[in-house]
Amino acid sequence: MKNRTTLTALTLTAAMGIALVGCGDSGGVGGPGEVEQNSGDKATITYWTWFPPQATLDAAIEAFEKENPNITVKLRTFEAADYQKQLPLALSGGEEIDVVGVQVSAMTDSVKDYLTPVDEWAGDWLGGVNETMVEQTAGMASDGELYSVPMGSIGSPLMYYNAEILDSLGLDVPTTGAEWKAAVDAIAAADPGVTPVVFSGEPYWQEEMLFGIAEQKSPGLSDDIIGGEGAWDQQGVIDGLNAYKSLFDQGIVGADVLSLLGSRPSELFAAGDAAFYIDGSWQNSLLSETFRADNGIDLADVGVAPLPVLDGGKPAVRALAEGGLGIPSSSKNVEAAAKFVEFMLGAGGADVWAKDLVLVPSLTGYELPDTVLTSDAARDGFAAATEVISAPTSQRDSQQDFLNQVEGNAILDVLRGTATAEDAAARMQSEWESGRYPHGTDK
Amino acid sequence: MTSDETRTMVTRDGGRRSRRRPSRAGRSPMRGWGYAVGFLAPLVVFYAVYFLYSFGILGVVSTQQVGLTFRNAVDVGLQNFVLVIQDPSFHRSLLNTVLFGVISVLVSLTLGFTLAMMLASGIRVRRLFYTVFLLPSLIPMSLFATVFGRMLETKDGAFNQFLRQFGLDAIAPDWLGDPTAAYVAVGILLTYTIGLPIMYYTTDVAQVNASIVESATLDGASVWQIYRIMLFPLLRSTHITVILSVILGSFRAFDIIYFSTGGQPGGRTDIVGTYIYKATLGLDRVGYAAAASILVLVIALAISVIQIVVKRKEL
Repeated sequence: MKNRTTLTALTLTAAMGIALVGCGDSGGVGGPGEVEQNSGDKATITYWTWFPPQATLDAAIEAFEKENPNITVKLRTFEAADYQKQLPLALSGGEEIDVVGVQVSAMTDSVKDYLTPVDEWAGDWLGGVNETMVEQTAGMASDGELYSVPMGSIGSPLMYYNAEILDSLGLDVPTTGAEWKAAVDAIAAADPGVTPVVFSGEPYWQEEMLFGIAEQKSPGLSDDIIGGEGAWDQQGVIDGLNAYKSLFDQGIVGADVLSLLGSRPSELFAAGDAAFYIDGSWQNSLLSETFRADNGIDLADVGVAPLPVLDGGKPAVRALAEGGLGIPSSSKNVEAAAKFVEFMLGAGGADVWAKDLVLVPSLTGYELPDTVLTSDAARDGFAAATEVISAPTSQRDSQQDFLNQVEGNAILDVLRGTATAEDAAARMQSEWESGRYPHGTDK
Repeated sequence: MTSDETRTMVTRDGGRRSRRRPSRAGRSPMRGWGYAVGFLAPLVVFYAVYFLYSFGILGVVSTQQVGLTFRNAVDVGLQNFVLVIQDPSFHRSLLNTVLFGVISVLVSLTLGFTLAMMLASGIRVRRLFYTVFLLPSLIPMSLFATVFGRMLETKDGAFNQFLRQFGLDAIAPDWLGDPTAAYVAVGILLTYTIGLPIMYYTTDVAQVNASIVESATLDGASVWQIYRIMLFPLLRSTHITVILSVILGSFRAFDIIYFSTGGQPGGRTDIVGTYIYKATLGLDRVGYAAAASILVLVIALAISVIQIVVKRKEL
């Protein structure tokens, strides 16, 4: 009897092991197939996202639930980079989620297999969404299908400035490298404690800077390389690297700026310790006096402008639809989820989240309330930013692995003088072709 | 008790009673096994789920080009291993892992040993010093490394501000821009993690026979001689434990590097942990990261085998 018990225990253990391996072979829970839908009067939908900020999302959800009393929204938010890993794993693990935020460039292909194509759940309201942004979103999927509807569009790089500092020194917003240098010198002379220009020294940000500068003379360069067949060692990239490095050589940007990581550049600008802060349009909230007051940012006035033109050409910004909202194929509340997406994309939702200014809303014809932007610098800046984002020189598309492992470091080596632009460009091209970074036609 | 009494126990009724021995026929030889299996089963299942299954999946995935969802995998055979082995960044991260391990060992065997001996000698406010040295090892390393990373900022970081206080602006380095400075920074950070080696030494030195030290003292040996000639050799097995645990620990030092230098400048301070983490960030790169993980696992395993062999020779 005891022997039999032992044998049974061992058999059960072995069976569990086999079952586990079996789970692995089947691809886990949550595979394709029809999902029985909730037929009750009430529905609770789960919403995962990384954007916009929690307070804004709470307000939007409150407004939605007021309009739809039979639907409750359970929200879970993540930090942006963490979300890129958490969502694919959760979807492949069968997590019950009804609405997901999708980072259009970074996540579309990694989650599309778990999302229901938009044409299966969206209504006529989809016609009111900016056509270009919809096309951009569909274009991010390897099969060209639309899996999420973008809430808006973002672009970078943009240059935020402390309007109070510029006004006090009688400086205009610089539009060329020479004007920028003059402004930086004036700021440094007036207050050595202020860092004239700050931006992130993280490897990922260097691509934004490189293409923002290189595309002033070579528009479409990023599309050509990342989205097409162009080479990294072409002259446009080498010129861009040299132009970027010239910011440091001319003293417009100090070498110490490259040691600013994480949120440090933003902190310095918010504290009034930096005059120009280069980042993406997701920082447009800084233009809002209300936002600054609510977040303890003691800056009297903030404006924004495209990066000054360094060596001829025109201001350049890469932009892309962002904030995609999709519905997982495992959702049991597709109808309620679609209602929520419609609300967020429509005027009701946009009225809540658009005033954060993080996105240029995708709702055709939508205009911000006049009360959001209160100064000339903010109003003019936002209009200028919206204009360049609406006519980007390339899509804001990145190959994250290549960027973090190779590209960002190669650019930093040029800026620090440990590699020439030619060597860095050749290294990027060599690694791009190495097979270590699957892209384009490799698969 | 007589010798006869010791041989035989006599009952009150005069009959002999032999010492009872369990009957072999009445006891199942598998009884002990049953208990063992019963107690071990939960652990075995846990082990199977979290380790064996994971290792199995790691092996399968390492031969695929696949993303985080594990769908649409493309079988690529050993290509991922070849690509990892050919990657100069992997070589550098591996070398850094070993280098940082060696730095930790040297610091542990010198500074760690010296501090442990000083603390064991009964100096005043000993507990305070224990707290100071052990604290970095007890708090989350990610938090510790994040604060340290902030201190490395070139303009406003605490290190350079400190140097400027003494008019040493000229030697204030670009910690994250100059490779040498970055290595020094990592070395400083690793020095703060010698709390555990200190604990090992402190525990083992308490086991040393005090009379040996007393005899040496009576014979006129200086403190330095006692430490160098007597205690250091006597703690040989502790040195081996410290060396191997520190080297193996360097393979798990992801948080130290990731949150302090982030691999800067230009990936020159990356270790295998940060290399593998960054490898998983891209689309369809999980197979590549799995191949890198297996290679690192094999290397760490080889070090463990060396540890076992050395230990056996010790015995």
